[in-house]
Amino acid sequence: MSDEPAPSLAEAPYGPEPSAPTAPPAGVQRQRLHPLTPLLESFRFLTAAVAAAGLQAFTSRNFLFAIYIALAAAVVGGIASLIALQYRGFVIWGRELHIYGGVFTRSHRTVPLDRLQSVDLARPIRARLFGLAQLNIEVAGGDGTDAKLAYLKADRALELRAELLAIAGRPPAEPAPEPAEGAVPDRDAGLLVPQLTVKRLALASVLEALPVQLTAILVFGTAFAVTGSIFGFSTVATTLWVGFFAPALLGYLQSTVAMVNRFLRNGRFRIGRDGTNLLIQRGLTDTSHETVPVDRVTGVSFDEPVLWRSRRWRRVEVWTAAVAQQSATAVKSTTALPVGEPDQVAVVAAAAVPDLPSVFATERPPRRARWRMPLRWKRTGAALTDRAFVVRHGYWVNTHVAVPYARIQSVKVTQGRVQRMQGLATVRALAAGGLGHDAVALHRDVGEAVAMAAELRERADAAAALERPRLS
Amino acid sequence: MSPKATPVWDLWPGDLQWQPMSPQLRKVWVLRSWINLFFLAVAAAVPLTIWLGWEGPLWALGGYAVLASLRSWAVARTVATWGYAERDEDLLVRHGLLTRRLSIVPYGRIQLIDLSAGPIERMFGLTTVQVRTAALGSTTEVPGLDPPVASALRDRLAVRAAEVREGL
Repeated sequence: MSDEPAPSLAEAPYGPEPSAPTAPPAGVQRQRLHPLTPLLESFRFLTAAVAAAGLQAFTSRNFLFAIYIALAAAVVGGIASLIALQYRGFVIWGRELHIYGGVFTRSHRTVPLDRLQSVDLARPIRARLFGLAQLNIEVAGGDGTDAKLAYLKADRALELRAELLAIAGRPPAEPAPEPAEGAVPDRDAGLLVPQLTVKRLALASVLEALPVQLTAILVFGTAFAVTGSIFGFSTVATTLWVGFFAPALLGYLQSTVAMVNRFLRNGRFRIGRDGTNLLIQRGLTDTSHETVPVDRVTGVSFDEPVLWRSRRWRRVEVWTAAVAQQSATAVKSTTALPVGEPDQVAVVAAAAVPDLPSVFATERPPRRARWRMPLRWKRTGAALTDRAFVVRHGYWVNTHVAVPYARIQSVKVTQGRVQRMQGLATVRALAAGGLGHDAVALHRDVGEAVAMAAELRERADAAAALERPRLS
Repeated sequence: MSPKATPVWDLWPGDLQWQPMSPQLRKVWVLRSWINLFFLAVAAAVPLTIWLGWEGPLWALGGYAVLASLRSWAVARTVATWGYAERDEDLLVRHGLLTRRLSIVPYGRIQLIDLSAGPIERMFGLTTVQVRTAALGSTTEVPGLDPPVASALRDRLAVRAAEVREGL
């Protein structure tokens, strides 16, 4: 610790000085959102209302009542959305984007375009029906600064995206608006990995969901057969149906829906690299464009579901420090490759983090930890590689997590009661972002764990020193 | 001390100058555990009184005394495990009696430093320093410092954080 007096922090400007007045004057013409916006935003509510009215009409044969409900909803909704639209809009003023909203509680969000991370174009299916799109605007610096502009006409959204990126002064390597879908003659041009075939994606989705579904069917089938043979099938069926089978069936359905969703989300997956960004386009029904700045990647995870193992397929996910946080609790990572062969995985990994290998030799925890995780033990491990801290865990989905040393925030060593009796400890390297975004090396020998933590800290400092200093 | 009882932080390579917390911290936490237990005892006294009549509150009081003494013993031992050490590049905080925890926070990654003091802490003139990094849910606390020590620590951390800023 030096004895020099503290530098006066107030004088050092943290961030660029605002050159223009921060708020636009009241008279500036606001740009409006598309008039269909309120309708699309209350899409789920509308569907529910229609379903409820339909059900009502169907069960009670009271068509008049249903018509009243529909009329009332249409009138109230129409008036409310017309009023709401008057107060919603946005203005590009200087180097800032101002977004207005709210009728009773006015909101005014200022997005500093200097700190713009990315502008993603998303097209949910309900918006695609009307040729609309939304822009997700992402700014460095955590919560509350991300903004959404929904909905705009698709071509207007592309124009606006280009405009915002131009104001932000992104390097010219950033392409002008991406070509419209279908306009590219060679569809694999400029891609890191050839576009995924539907067949492989479908097979991969099924194989991933199969273990869970098979186990569910087996468990409940045997439970039903055993209890049925003891108590008689009819009583079991009626008594257990409500309390047990219905929820189980619901869970089963949910897993199926999740599988289908994943398939739809990752259909037509294309990943390209442009300068310092990864550009991702995906989606069969809801298309979305995502931009992942490579210098913001805090970690890469490689998932290998148990049935993919024989095919040597893996999925690559990329964690970033600033992801558009729709909800605060959701831990979001971006899929960089839904399923790929070893060489494709290697290409994507190296594109996400320079020089990151995709195959790691991890060291298992000591044998005395084996009884604590009999299935997983063989597939658990940790390694300090050249560039990244790599941990491996999971049986049904075996995951390798690689966190580059320069992205390690803090390191924790914990030792539980039983671990203490066994002389084990767990090392945790935390990366920026949500909970669960950390690399956990389970059950290391205690001496090794502490040495590993010390080594991680040293390497993190060394790696961070090599990088150019950055704000935020 | 048997090797198994050696706390995990004592295995750290190299010498560390562990700074203890203020001796007042034990009083604060014991008092806090008494108050928490008191609410529990009051809550338990109501059904006990309905069930046992006038003996109920006595049982609640007796249970409270036993639990409070056990708890104070445990809390006193827990407080002894707290400690922090400042190294050149990072801050180390250790604590925990049953589950041992050692957190290492590099100065360059510190985003926010909070000073806070609850009502009981204020009675004894103590302050808690909280350090946050960009990783959510990784707040590192250094509780029970004398206010001058706490603000000195805060200032040192802030200066070092500004010097070696490493970002996300």
